[in-house]
Amino acid sequence: MTTLDTPQTTPPSAGRDAVAPARTRRMPSAARKALLGALGVVGFLATWQLIPALGIIDARYLPYATDTLARLGTMLGDLEFYRNIGRTMTSWAIGLVIALVAAVVLGAVVGLVPVLRRATHTTVEFLRPIPSVALIPLAILIFGIQLPAALVIIVYATFWQIFVQVLYGVADVDAVARDTARSFGLGRAARFRHLVFPTTLPYLMTGLRLGAAVALILAITAEMTIGVPGLGNVLNVARNAGDNVTVFAVVVTTGLLGLLVNLVFRFIERRTLSWHQSVRGEEVL
Amino acid sequence: MKKNLAALGLLAAAALALAGCTDSAAPAPAGSAAATADGGSGEMTQIRVAALPIAESGALWAAIDEGIFADHGLEVEVVPAQGGAQAIPALINGDIDFAIGQPFGPFRASLQNLGAVIISNYASSLPASADTDVNAVVALSSSGISSPKDLAGKRVSVNSLGAAGDVTIMKAVEDDGGDPKSIQFVEVAFPDVQAQLEAGSIDAGWVPDPFMSQIAGNGGAIITHPYQATIPGLELLTNITTQKKIDEDPELVKNYADAMSEALTWASSNEDAVRAAIVENMKIPEAAAAGITLPVFSPELDVDNLRTLAGLAVGYGVLDKEPDFDAMIKLQ
Repeated sequence: MTTLDTPQTTPPSAGRDAVAPARTRRMPSAARKALLGALGVVGFLATWQLIPALGIIDARYLPYATDTLARLGTMLGDLEFYRNIGRTMTSWAIGLVIALVAAVVLGAVVGLVPVLRRATHTTVEFLRPIPSVALIPLAILIFGIQLPAALVIIVYATFWQIFVQVLYGVADVDAVARDTARSFGLGRAARFRHLVFPTTLPYLMTGLRLGAAVALILAITAEMTIGVPGLGNVLNVARNAGDNVTVFAVVVTTGLLGLLVNLVFRFIERRTLSWHQSVRGEEVL
Repeated sequence: MKKNLAALGLLAAAALALAGCTDSAAPAPAGSAAATADGGSGEMTQIRVAALPIAESGALWAAIDEGIFADHGLEVEVVPAQGGAQAIPALINGDIDFAIGQPFGPFRASLQNLGAVIISNYASSLPASADTDVNAVVALSSSGISSPKDLAGKRVSVNSLGAAGDVTIMKAVEDDGGDPKSIQFVEVAFPDVQAQLEAGSIDAGWVPDPFMSQIAGNGGAIITHPYQATIPGLELLTNITTQKKIDEDPELVKNYADAMSEALTWASSNEDAVRAAIVENMKIPEAAAAGITLPVFSPELDVDNLRTLAGLAVGYGVLDKEPDFDAMIKLQ
């Protein structure tokens, strides 16, 4: 029953006030966390530096961490680098929005209509495991070597991530809550707003966060395999030129972008779900 | 308040950092000025041309910067296609107007009646008299492979199976007295060949420059230049479009072929400009670009060479039958 009324009775700010005193007490632990995080990064870089230094992998194939970071530094001073990040993030954003809208609309409709859910189940389970990259030849045939071809594979992969979560979310509505809402005379729209939507939201947020990461992976894959301009294409050109330092500098960049995307979506998730028990109890990163 | 200040500081720092940025994609000032000045006389037609991000494309990049295409009223957008697998479908559906690609793309497209046609040559390997070539089969010195016939029974890499690489290697091995059918061809991208040789997963590999010189310089050996050993001066890359394009806009195709012809002739006598374009577009060090063996840039297509290549491919079972040359080659 909490699912029914929490969004109304607990405004988001109330939850935050309650956490405030705890946050001041956590300060030392936050500092320790930052320190541990920094140690982890340093340890990673040191291991990376040691692998070619000890000759475990030839430095021609795995360049030194220091060389890679130096190259990354040079790239950070080049406007074209930011344009390429912009190109990658543009296809990422367009793909993610299309997938989100389609998945929410279709997921809600299919999830709420039991006949549709049973009718589409087999098809969904058949289509979902098809690797998005397998559609590249088809995408090129239809759209050529341009952004729309990249969007086909980005949207395809991202759509299922969100769609399935929405389906689960809609199906998770508490039976007792649903019956209660019915007997209290709530209409279809009100039931959707007060019952289905709050139940689905945490699932949707998880799907969105997973989808955002998948969309980034496929945006870069599309640039590498189709030839759409962006970071993936820079990586490919460097690879063709045998410039492994740049290849790894781009790999690090894509890793950082993925991290950033994840942090932003974790933040959005916490903000939208501040009323939800899964977030209220969780420690802020 | 504190947060706002921090954000403002960060923004200011970012602005400062960006202001100090260079811009590697900024058009070369001289070239672009020439292009716009020359193009002012007539209307510019925009065309999309697919080209591989490899050294051979240097002639195209340099000629565009030089304003040769603009002189013909063509504004060229170079689309960095990853190979025939991408370029041919994109040509067929009209996304790109022309492609610079290996002859095997049109061969296969012709066998499926897709309507891809070769309108002129772009680059050829070196003639028989040269003691080097644009590509070679390389192996480690320790491999015990010293002549083409030693490749029999070995694992040899090519960048894409069922194309000019494996066909000419089989012919070179056969001519040297080895059994071409016993070679195990594997697909390895050019940049990965050295690592795969050292790891022992392949015995020899077919590579162009800069990898050919790198591997030869790092304790490797050049076993053979397969093009030169079999079909000297073989067409490496050709200008490809579709029959549909020729039917719909013969003037544009003719215009492109003329511009390309002028560009290639210019490029063959301006090697420095081509190398500079390679440095700029592939972001490789000048020293590496200076060591690259450039092909012969020429619009002249030697159809007999292509017939020989197709005949060999059929003989080795790489192609089911010979493509229809009359329909596939429409010299402009």
